[in-house]
Amino acid sequence: MNAWTVILAAGLGSYLFRLSMIVLFDRITMPAYLQRASELVAPAAFAALAAAGVATVCMGLGATRAAAPLAAVAAAVIAVLRTGSPQAAILVGMPALWVATALLPS
Amino acid sequence: MISLRADRRDIAAGARTMVPWLAGIVPFGLVIGVSAVQADVPTLAGWLTGPLIYAGSAQLATIGMIGAGTAPVVVVASALIINIRLIFYSATMARYWRGTPLWWRMVAAYLIVDPSVAVGLDGYRRLGRGRGHAHYLGGAVLLWVSWLTAIAAGAMVGAGLPAWLHLEFVIPLYLVGQAIAKLARPAQRRAIFAAAAVALLALTAPLQLGIALAITAGVAAGLTARPAGPARSIHPLKPSTEVPR
Repeated sequence: MNAWTVILAAGLGSYLFRLSMIVLFDRITMPAYLQRASELVAPAAFAALAAAGVATVCMGLGATRAAAPLAAVAAAVIAVLRTGSPQAAILVGMPALWVATALLPS
Repeated sequence: MISLRADRRDIAAGARTMVPWLAGIVPFGLVIGVSAVQADVPTLAGWLTGPLIYAGSAQLATIGMIGAGTAPVVVVASALIINIRLIFYSATMARYWRGTPLWWRMVAAYLIVDPSVAVGLDGYRRLGRGRGHAHYLGGAVLLWVSWLTAIAAGAMVGAGLPAWLHLEFVIPLYLVGQAIAKLARPAQRRAIFAAAAVALLALTAPLQLGIALAITAGVAAGLTARPAGPARSIHPLKPSTEVPR
């Protein structure tokens, strides 16, 4: 198997993953509990990816400099809670990150 | 019924909803382009991970492992394990695409990835099933074009973005915003806190299995909440618009 075949196989498998439940639930009715579960996938996935993403960035920076992204996350959380808009997380969080990074000793 | 000609405004709205995601996704695409050039992989093969695998983490892992000479079966298995979450997303979108033409399901399924699911769900909830298709397509196609362009640009220009921008942090922040905004419902609140906690505990799990584990734990925790519970506004000045049942 060369690089091309490996990429093709990984791509084909990924596409079948994407198509799997769509084809399955077109033939049979999705049970009520699965319907409830499917509504929880996106919030759970976003929370998992967010927590892992923030932790990975912080671990790469060391104890002192990790304060900057953590401050940015705190600012983002407060902004979203106060405005109700998810976009506020970036609009407030990124400037907070730049300021906190500039203020912290290198 | 899929009628895209009549839904140009919804297609444009979907594309606009996708724009905030691009701020973090484009730098990620550039990084993948750079890594494809740096690894011992033909540049075109590295770029083809974009249209074929179309999921950043799996693409990075595939390119890195091929470059490192990992056994092909291990590379394919690793990419697929990283992409297990796509099965969850497929189940999430299935209810909206039930009964649609096969060509639509095949195209729409191909475009499934984290941001397109987020934008798509937003459209289906606000606009309903018919107009939601156009909204999904608008966002997903813009993402696809931007992603492939960013990978190609990364392969050509290399790492020239200023490091002080810390653009790698845009995606985590955006996801924080998406998660916090969904805290209103008790079931979603449980899912969010459980998934975040398990993701942190399983951070060192190999092949990003921690993410799949965290999603499973989050969904399980959410299912323990009473169904159709009242939504509590996360905005202190705006009461919930939903009537408790």
